[in-house]
Amino acid sequence: MSTYVYGITAGTHPALPEGTGGVGDPPRGIRILKEGGLAAVVSDAPEGLRPKRRELLAHQNVLSEVGAGGCVLPMRFGSVAPDDSAVTGVLAERADHYEERLRALDGRVEYNIKATHVEEAVLHHVMAQNPEVRALADANRQAGGGSYEDKIRLGEMVAAAVKDKEAEDATVLERALEPGADAISVGPESTGWLANVSFLVKRESAEEFLAAVERVRGDMPHLEVRVNGPLPPYSFVEPGPAEPAGTAAGGMDVGTE
Amino acid sequence: MSVVPAQQSGGGGGSSGLYDVLELVLDRGLVIDAFVRVSLVGIEILKIDVRVVVASVDTYLRFAEACNRLDLESGPRKDPGLPDLVGKMTESGAKGKSKGALSGAAETISDAFKQAREEGDSERQTTSRPRARKTAASRRKEEQE
Repeated sequence: MSTYVYGITAGTHPALPEGTGGVGDPPRGIRILKEGGLAAVVSDAPEGLRPKRRELLAHQNVLSEVGAGGCVLPMRFGSVAPDDSAVTGVLAERADHYEERLRALDGRVEYNIKATHVEEAVLHHVMAQNPEVRALADANRQAGGGSYEDKIRLGEMVAAAVKDKEAEDATVLERALEPGADAISVGPESTGWLANVSFLVKRESAEEFLAAVERVRGDMPHLEVRVNGPLPPYSFVEPGPAEPAGTAAGGMDVGTE
Repeated sequence: MSVVPAQQSGGGGGSSGLYDVLELVLDRGLVIDAFVRVSLVGIEILKIDVRVVVASVDTYLRFAEACNRLDLESGPRKDPGLPDLVGKMTESGAKGKSKGALSGAAETISDAFKQAREEGDSERQTTSRPRARKTAASRRKEEQE
């Protein structure tokens, strides 16, 4: 029977959710495998496990339960070991590394911030700051919308200006929230956000961080800012330098030119 | 000290929050090479429909249309919209340049609004209802005039 692995935590974790439901239908019961000072949160791996919404949620729910009680290194969804002894083997072999990561992330949670423009508000910005756009828009309107070529020309100018504004706002957003975080990680690209950034935040600083988010919302009402967290530190399980602020608008690279 | 709920966006959360998190579950997290990963075939179900500025004719036409509508739809409206957004904008002590720019936009084209409003009053019933994100800006206009 292969073993589905949710995450790795300290053996001393006070509230491991043994017996609660994990992935699979019916949900497979959560088991704890201990090895040295570490514990792996696992269940049996269902046959033919697929990345369905309910399975992804089960994975996340188990981890958020573990994370609420103490630090956990969350596995990416879908990690399956041949059997329990393969899991404990890995724990034994890489104990130093995982213990170091657990210490580094102890008392810290991830907040993922996503932002998009409120389209009409950003179009107002563009019109206000760009007389050329304004003039062309006026001309088109007076011509009952303008010719196809006129529309394309206007749209092209507006799109370029909006893109610049997205990159600019992504940087402003990131800089505004950075001081409240221990680390930042630019999120997966290509999902269409002008910013998709995760912040590693100390639990005791969470309130301040969220207050900073509120300030950003107030200062930048043309942005729609979404906050998800506290989450297990998915984006910070492996050590690495924080990515430079310039990549914050990563999603914007899609389709350039 | 624990000042935040353990999980704000877990199981019961709205679908948008759900998608936001699932992306991390799929793309981030620890990977151990001694374990296999289940195939992610079929994961398209998670794709998010978010508008992004892609250089395409469709985008250009959409923006051109939006700019044309911008003034016509900027008259006073009663849509509930996003009142908190509007509230924050007027409350904020540090609004600085974004507020300034928005005000600028409003002033610059306020003449067009007035004209549009006069024309638009009779049309408003038939104009297709704008999305919620439009209404926030519309209300903003309303406040500033």
